[in-house]
Amino acid sequence: MGKAIRNPRPDAGGTGAGGPGAPGDTAVRPRPAPDRDSAYWWEAVRDRRFLVQYCADCRSPRFPPREVCAVCLSLEWHWHQGTGTGTVDGWTVTRRTFHPAFPAPYTVLRVALDDAPALYCWGGLAGADPADLRRGLPVEAEFTELPPENGRPPGEDGPDVVVDWRPLG
Amino acid sequence: MAGTGLSGAASLAGVGRTPFSRDSGASTTALACRAVLAALDDAGLGVGDVDGIATHRVGDSSPPWVVGPALGIDDPAWHLDQFGGGGVSHAVVGQAAMAVAAGVAEVVVCYRAVNARSEFRMGGKGRAPAGAFDLQYQAPYGLLAPVQHYAVPARAHMDAYGTAPEHFGAIAVRQRANAAANPRALKRDPFTLDDYLASPWISEPFRLLDCCLETDGACALVVTSAERARDLRRPPVDIAAAAWAGGHSTYSPPAPGGLGDDLTTSSAARLAPRLYAMAGLGPTDVDTAELYDCFTWTVVVQLEDYGFCAKGEGGPFAASEAMDIGGALPVNTHGGFLSEGYVHGINHVVEAVDQLRGDAGPRQVEGAEVALSTGQPGYVLAGTSALLLTAGR
Repeated sequence: MGKAIRNPRPDAGGTGAGGPGAPGDTAVRPRPAPDRDSAYWWEAVRDRRFLVQYCADCRSPRFPPREVCAVCLSLEWHWHQGTGTGTVDGWTVTRRTFHPAFPAPYTVLRVALDDAPALYCWGGLAGADPADLRRGLPVEAEFTELPPENGRPPGEDGPDVVVDWRPLG
Repeated sequence: MAGTGLSGAASLAGVGRTPFSRDSGASTTALACRAVLAALDDAGLGVGDVDGIATHRVGDSSPPWVVGPALGIDDPAWHLDQFGGGGVSHAVVGQAAMAVAAGVAEVVVCYRAVNARSEFRMGGKGRAPAGAFDLQYQAPYGLLAPVQHYAVPARAHMDAYGTAPEHFGAIAVRQRANAAANPRALKRDPFTLDDYLASPWISEPFRLLDCCLETDGACALVVTSAERARDLRRPPVDIAAAAWAGGHSTYSPPAPGGLGDDLTTSSAARLAPRLYAMAGLGPTDVDTAELYDCFTWTVVVQLEDYGFCAKGEGGPFAASEAMDIGGALPVNTHGGFLSEGYVHGINHVVEAVDQLRGDAGPRQVEGAEVALSTGQPGYVLAGTSALLLTAGR
């Protein structure tokens, strides 16, 4: 498997004491916080690859990454290049700022992946008006590089590439 | 009625609560002690009778190891300090009933104490790390606060079934009207559907008036055997059933059709059959329901998943007069978390006890014999839990 990604700030998504957007928050966007199951997937995202994990025995796909197959309990798996496409399953347009790195408004989607039924991923909406969203709308993955954090080298503070979704056509 | 499992083994013998506020000026330890003492007084018991103590927390409140000794309860025969929020709010009471049924403890106090406005606001420090487990795939996109997490399934439900803002608004308007008859409620000024529709967006489809109230306060319950409860000061309320269900995965179920595949069905759909079967009761037997209302939409999905209406009909049903006090199924008679206050779930149980004892005053549901009270229906990395309560005879 790929090398582990260091995760110096596992609570990077949290907000300050006293509530969302409280003083003490910085405008640094929370980095993904990989664990030992997901580190390889996030590393692939950094390489602009959208991977899907498949059981080596029963071939069931799964997302997010896990060590054990929930269908046959096998501990063997393969990574495959996913389609990187899907359809909109749900979304919200946030109109209040909860964290200074995410000024409102912005839109986050739940996407049903095209690779197999019942596989879901999340991400921001890219290049579209949220008023045009509906369930079933086709979307494709877009890799978004996060700006460097406090001048530190890219990747030093966790993965610096995330997956957003752009409507097709 | 013929129950199974835990049914009828344990009862709620007393309830207590502090005032609800936006700034209690007291520690969570103090709030917990005040609520526990009030509940014991209600039951006609003293701290010397207590041999079990239970709570749930998300790192935001005083544990049994502090609250117990603060009241002189320093050697409980049974204890529970459960991690979790609203999803386990009713599980704590169910587990206390199991401890009593098993003979491990005889008198258990369950409490929840929060300074959820003045000290530990949702989404702030004290919560689970926002990036933990499945949330690592959401936090990097700014999906951080509970209102956002529930907005996504609510939007999916609207898109799938035509659930409308007016349905959410009817819930919010009704619950505020109910709160007007509840002197404990934090918000008692009525508003109209137009007021609702004019309230600011937080995270679509939720407006400010779709959201529960960040609250300081505490509630406590005394759980004891059904037999002993009959010898105490107040009429007993029997635990006809307690049930649990797993979490609604934020991501992918093991197979298509599994829990979490369809955002528009909650874990309550798995829990409800177990709950009703244990009690030997069904949805048509329920006289009043206190449904976990962190946001208006969770009422809609639970009306469906607890079997009060068909899937997809929860919006129009929630907006109907059936939900009013005096209707066929009065819901959130105290104003709910939207208007009474949000003590993370336990104040629903306290209201159910008030209703079944006939203590609810101007908001009393006439002849209430069976009450459903529910926890968070299993979204956002949580399981769910619920209680079916009956007026003791």
